[in-house]
Amino acid sequence: MSSAEGADWAGKPVLRIAGDMGILVEFGDAYAPAVSNAVLAFDAAIRQMTLAGVIETVPTFRSVLVRFDPLELPFDRLEARLGAMLAERDWYLAPPPQGRREWVLPAVYGGASGPDLAEVADLAGLREDQVAGAHSADPLTVAMLGFSPGLAYLGQLAQNWNIPRRTGITPGVPAGAVLVAVRQTVLPATPIPTGWRQIARTPFRGFDPRRSPPFLLSPGDLVRFQPVSEAQIAGFDMDEFMKGQP
Amino acid sequence: MRGLRILSISPTASIQDRGRQGLLRFGVSPGGAMDAYALAEGQALLGNAADDAALEMAGHGGSFRAEGEVWVSLTGAPMQASLNGRVVEWRQSLHLRDGDTLRIGATVMGVYGYLHVAGGFQTEVVLNARSTHVRAGFGHLPKAGDLLPAGLVPPKPVPLALPRPEYFDQRQIRAIWGPQSHLFDDAERSRFAAAQFGVSDKRDRMGMQIIPDYPPFHGDSGLSIASDATLPGDIQIIGNGTPAVLLADRGPTGGYPRIATVITADIAALAQISSGERFAISIVDRQEAVGALLEYRRTIGALPGMAEPVLRDPRDMADLLSYNLIDGAITGENDEQN
Repeated sequence: MSSAEGADWAGKPVLRIAGDMGILVEFGDAYAPAVSNAVLAFDAAIRQMTLAGVIETVPTFRSVLVRFDPLELPFDRLEARLGAMLAERDWYLAPPPQGRREWVLPAVYGGASGPDLAEVADLAGLREDQVAGAHSADPLTVAMLGFSPGLAYLGQLAQNWNIPRRTGITPGVPAGAVLVAVRQTVLPATPIPTGWRQIARTPFRGFDPRRSPPFLLSPGDLVRFQPVSEAQIAGFDMDEFMKGQP
Repeated sequence: MRGLRILSISPTASIQDRGRQGLLRFGVSPGGAMDAYALAEGQALLGNAADDAALEMAGHGGSFRAEGEVWVSLTGAPMQASLNGRVVEWRQSLHLRDGDTLRIGATVMGVYGYLHVAGGFQTEVVLNARSTHVRAGFGHLPKAGDLLPAGLVPPKPVPLALPRPEYFDQRQIRAIWGPQSHLFDDAERSRFAAAQFGVSDKRDRMGMQIIPDYPPFHGDSGLSIASDATLPGDIQIIGNGTPAVLLADRGPTGGYPRIATVITADIAALAQISSGERFAISIVDRQEAVGALLEYRRTIGALPGMAEPVLRDPRDMADLLSYNLIDGAITGENDEQN
């Protein structure tokens, strides 16, 4: 398996046993754009095959978990199939996923909506009035959903955003909080405890169990935050917002 | 509406079915009964569907009053239980009449007991399942005063009973080396495989901390990796070196390395080990794990056929005593001594 010239990850994919009902296809040991693209392309390829016995696939920062029923699809056969797929092409050269959506999400930075903005400004070497502009300058990629229902991990901010998580935990940050640490942005869809710092809040809800579909964001989607004032989102309505989406 | 009115209930109780499958990619761990075998026993005793929901009780139960006629059964960890003051057996279907009171106390052994109703509890469905997932905010959280409605089913003519399963005594838990076992050197893996573990009281539906009989490896807290998907039974080694087993309500993704993964067939046995008790982990290969899975599914599939009619329903016996004083009294006495 050759790897992309200049790619972030110089290794090659590895298959690992993940319990008696899983094989983990590991593309890297950390998040990197080329690793993430490989993960998303491989995940899409397995889903397209609709292989009998595969229960679900789980794309993450650095791997794809294939959960399957070994009584329906023997271990050896799935392993051989995944190995053959890995050998077919250089997955690290895969482009970002086809048909990914681009979201523009209104967000109120600072104040009650971003109680930790001043602290983040200090840690990232920015003035407080620069944080919103710097954070929303470029679209961010949904690297994975995890931790809690619909919570999106967005990669990746510039190097100066490589700020540590807090050692203490804030017990309940609200759904829609825009949280930052380690060059990433986390967007929870339900209230969560967290050690990440909140710089903004969006009225967008990526998850609602009573909506169809319940989950809006998918790994690979692009998210751009649009700094707005409190007044501009006063009448925000998810149904109206979705009508404006492609 | 027919069902069970909750008079009092343990705060650890929740509604559980087989959980939500296929949503890990959206950040949803599956939930579902901690003891899937006990869930299946209840379905077999009552003729329920595999997906029907039961009430899971950890450590302690509650009091329930029947509204209308309902059939119920109790499975999993045996608990002290009585129906209108008479002791009731575990793993039997029981007929409750309107106003009957079922009291379920503390566990006698094990951890998770289940109260099933024929037709299943018809509580709220969220994302195709009724399982309460407290951390995710899904499903019904039972509290005193609630009516847990029972589904519609044809009346059951005879009470059934199942034999006591063996897994409550199982203290060898089988596991496969985990997806990050390569991050631990041979010496550490050998120690892990040879160890005895004590079950800590730090446990819930998310997972259980287990304390090895050797000093924890990795005194430093530098042992973390970029997060990826977690599996039920994953044994992760957290920063201070203490292992924890991830279970039904675990985080769907995690960043601690997982040294081993408990096989599917042994998860219920592990979840039922009481805090303070000890067990060992035997590492098996995947062929052995798949063989155990096949056996486990066969056993569960055979449960409806294993359920046998109960010769004596304590409730009917009470009636019998009043109708036929002599024979009834003698039979009753003999039965009490059996």
